[in-house]
Amino acid sequence: MPTANLLQGTLDLLILKALALTGLHGLAISHRIAQITNGTFQVKPGSLFPALHRMEEAGWLTSAWGESENKRRAKYYRLTAAGRRQLQTETLQWETIALAIASALEAN
Amino acid sequence: MPLLNLLASLRRNLFTRPRMERDLDEEVHAYLDQLTDEKREAGIGATEARREALIEFGGLEQVKEEVRQARAGQMLGQMLQDLRYGFRALRKHRAFTMIAILALALGIGATTAMFSVSYGILMRPLPYADADRVAVVYMRFFPRDFAFGTMCIRDYLMWKENNRAFEDPSLFTSPRMDVGGKEGVPEQVQGASVTAGFLSTLAVRPLIGRTFAAGEDQPATGSLAVLSETIWRRRFAASPAVLGETILVNGAPTKVIGVMPGVFRFPQRQTEVWTNLLLNPPTRFGPWFYRGVARLKPGVTLQQAQAETNQIGQRLMQQNSNYHRLRLPVLGLRDALLGTTLKPAILVLAGAVGLVLLIAVVNVANLMLARATVREREMALRLSLGAGRGRLVRQLLTESVLLAAMGGAAGLALAWGGIELVRAWNPGNLPLIDSVRLDAGALGFTVLVSMLTGVLFGLTPALQSARAELNATIKEGGRAGSSSRARGRTRAALVISEIAVSLMLLVGAGLLLRSFGNLQRVTGGFSTPPRQILTMLISPGGRKYTDARAGLAFYDEVLRRARAVPGVATAALTDSLPPDRQGDADSFMMEGQTLAPGELNPIVTDATVGPDYFRTLGVPLLKGRYFSDHDNRDSAPVTIVSEGFASRFYPNQEAVGKRIQQSGPGMGNPWMEIVGVVGNMKYLGLTVDTDPAYYMAFAQSYGPRMFLAVRASGDAGRVAEPLRRAIQSIDPGVTLAQVGTMEQALALSVSQPRFDTMLLGLFAGIALLLAAVGIYGLIAYSVAQRTHEIGVRMALGAARADVVRMVVRQGARLAAIGIVLGLGGALALTRLLKTMLFGIGVTDALTFLAAPLGMMLVVLLATFVPAIRATRISPVVALRYE
Repeated sequence: MPTANLLQGTLDLLILKALALTGLHGLAISHRIAQITNGTFQVKPGSLFPALHRMEEAGWLTSAWGESENKRRAKYYRLTAAGRRQLQTETLQWETIALAIASALEAN
Repeated sequence: MPLLNLLASLRRNLFTRPRMERDLDEEVHAYLDQLTDEKREAGIGATEARREALIEFGGLEQVKEEVRQARAGQMLGQMLQDLRYGFRALRKHRAFTMIAILALALGIGATTAMFSVSYGILMRPLPYADADRVAVVYMRFFPRDFAFGTMCIRDYLMWKENNRAFEDPSLFTSPRMDVGGKEGVPEQVQGASVTAGFLSTLAVRPLIGRTFAAGEDQPATGSLAVLSETIWRRRFAASPAVLGETILVNGAPTKVIGVMPGVFRFPQRQTEVWTNLLLNPPTRFGPWFYRGVARLKPGVTLQQAQAETNQIGQRLMQQNSNYHRLRLPVLGLRDALLGTTLKPAILVLAGAVGLVLLIAVVNVANLMLARATVREREMALRLSLGAGRGRLVRQLLTESVLLAAMGGAAGLALAWGGIELVRAWNPGNLPLIDSVRLDAGALGFTVLVSMLTGVLFGLTPALQSARAELNATIKEGGRAGSSSRARGRTRAALVISEIAVSLMLLVGAGLLLRSFGNLQRVTGGFSTPPRQILTMLISPGGRKYTDARAGLAFYDEVLRRARAVPGVATAALTDSLPPDRQGDADSFMMEGQTLAPGELNPIVTDATVGPDYFRTLGVPLLKGRYFSDHDNRDSAPVTIVSEGFASRFYPNQEAVGKRIQQSGPGMGNPWMEIVGVVGNMKYLGLTVDTDPAYYMAFAQSYGPRMFLAVRASGDAGRVAEPLRRAIQSIDPGVTLAQVGTMEQALALSVSQPRFDTMLLGLFAGIALLLAAVGIYGLIAYSVAQRTHEIGVRMALGAARADVVRMVVRQGARLAAIGIVLGLGGALALTRLLKTMLFGIGVTDALTFLAAPLGMMLVVLLATFVPAIRATRISPVVALRYE
């Protein structure tokens, strides 16, 4: 399965984006990222969990225990207001960078 | 929410680590289970699904460890960032930071130091076991009338016989003692002569050896001595061999039986030798040299003991018709050590320093609020750029705590320095100074108070901006939002309270200062400049000098050699010295007077002085003559009385030529003819009203221990050494003590009022400074806020004077309100100073006029600076100031 190396800081943006619509548990976040990136990014628990906890610590996410689709206990993560703002900021940043890189690559 | 989130995060990381661990473990396993479920749904067997899930997950423990590090890193990273940013912010606003730290340091330092001193003196347990069960027993009776006077051995025996409240009543007196022997040159030290139970009543174990055993105060016992640790180290090189050795105490061979540890300092701080007082059966009442000390029996209160001694007092009065209104006052040990004046003074000072802390805290709150307004815009900007509110709160919290920590550290240094200074210097001559040290509780309390203030007022901007409308705030530029208007009112109220409280302190300090000024003008009754008078206490040592003939010859030689010392103008002997060294007090009989049985003339100062005494001190002769060398053992007995004595006991009569007798009736003393009347002198302290006195001639009333007083032609300190050498060369047994100028004696006698005045003055000064900073800050800030408005006014033609008046008026209004409130407070509070004042009332008009004027002046000065700055505003710049 082709996987791209995650750019430093990109994972945070992907997680924020994945949670933008609704709260999800860990595995679902991982699936959601794969889905919205058309399978380009497969986030492994080894990177997912530290990122989730770091972001929770930063106040962008909150977590709560809930029940999964198949009746299992699972920890659900949701965006906080700060997380939503962070998503906006990072999206803006990313667009600026992407635009800049794209124009740099197009340059002759 | 952000604040809650922050708190939750703090709790998670700091307090509920085990729970967090469990949570993480569950979370990881839940993920694993879900992954396994998925694989099974895809048709893989249970065992295989689990195995694949585990492989895909990749090292459970490894993932958990990475999570832990990520969390810790996030926390630490933010904290470091906050700290860095906090430092940068504090450094950037250097004036703000310095003022805030200074205010906190002064408040914390002064409060901690003063509370430590108060605690050490008033509350720290004494180094004696169950010291609150130990009481000192005094005797008060008329006509003598000393509130905490002494008793005689007969009184003591009566007390002991009828005692039920105390364990073992013991008796003590504190004479000076000459200590000599083969170990070194003799010296004069503070001693205590005590009954056998004295040391065991205080329940302090000796360092080595033993204390007095029961019965060692009975007549046939030999002379025994217990030494203090200090004299043991000084004279005996801390050798245990001192036990059993014989030393000379007042010339008498005395066996050393023990050494007390350094913490034992009773009855006086300087006591170095305790000898056994021998209770020879008394044949009469007197001399009244002794006080009692005893331990209450279990379950007996001080009040019950007092009731019992009152009854014993009744019996004493039945036995001795000269006793009137006799009582045996009982005081707890601490109160006895402190005396009656110190406790109220310390409490007043502690209260005053509490007010200083209050002002400091108000000042910091004020500064924080001022900054909050300025930072409103910064906060709004950071919020709109996506900073979490929790993050902002955490940031401000870090800054506040940083500030409080720095202020606390500086305050700790101040407090430590202050306490060391007080301990080393002991400017107030305070008893129990040895139990004063930096008190952790006091420091903790003050730091906590300041920290809370900082946090409370530091957080306001964050909490307010959390509510504020970002757009409005940014557009306003933080100039006049509704929140800042409310904040302005709060700040004005804070400044008013600062002014009011510091005015109260200022009035208190003013009263003490005026009182101290009065005290300084009291002369003691002599006109020779105090710095030209040198005095020392001489004891010839050797028992042969108890004989008057040998003693008088010795003192003739002392005077001869003293007068030969260059720089000495006159020299004289006396057993009493102003302002507070009364040698003796006694009653007297007037010739031709008939006293009813049991009646006694008042007990007054009866001093023994040599011929040149009055000339040396410069005491005016009002009638008759001074003593001369012709008044000796072979001539007719003579006396000189003070003006107060003459006018009180010989009203409208010529006192000179009349005859009086020392002591009460039946003592068989010779009649003495009054040959002169001299000016009044003070022997009981400068604050005590002139007491009547009669003087006896040294040659006719010999005593071995005498003061030498010399008048120097210049600075008396310079003749001290030559005098000492000249006198010590007369006899190897001679000891000298208390060598010093009258200037020093006067200073020492007012050391406690000076200490009180200095401290309260210092506190008031700090308060005034802080209040000035407070009002300066407020006005300067409001001028900055009104730059635009002032610019418009000036553009429209307002004169500079108008602008100054406008700004100053704002300050003056606050000051006026503060001053009115402060005067009210001062009127209510200065009553507490009543016992500390001398020569003025608690509502001294001058103080109550000068203090508010001074306050107003300081406030106007503090207002004037920003007012002048306001006039420099250029209208063009101001109008552009957005």
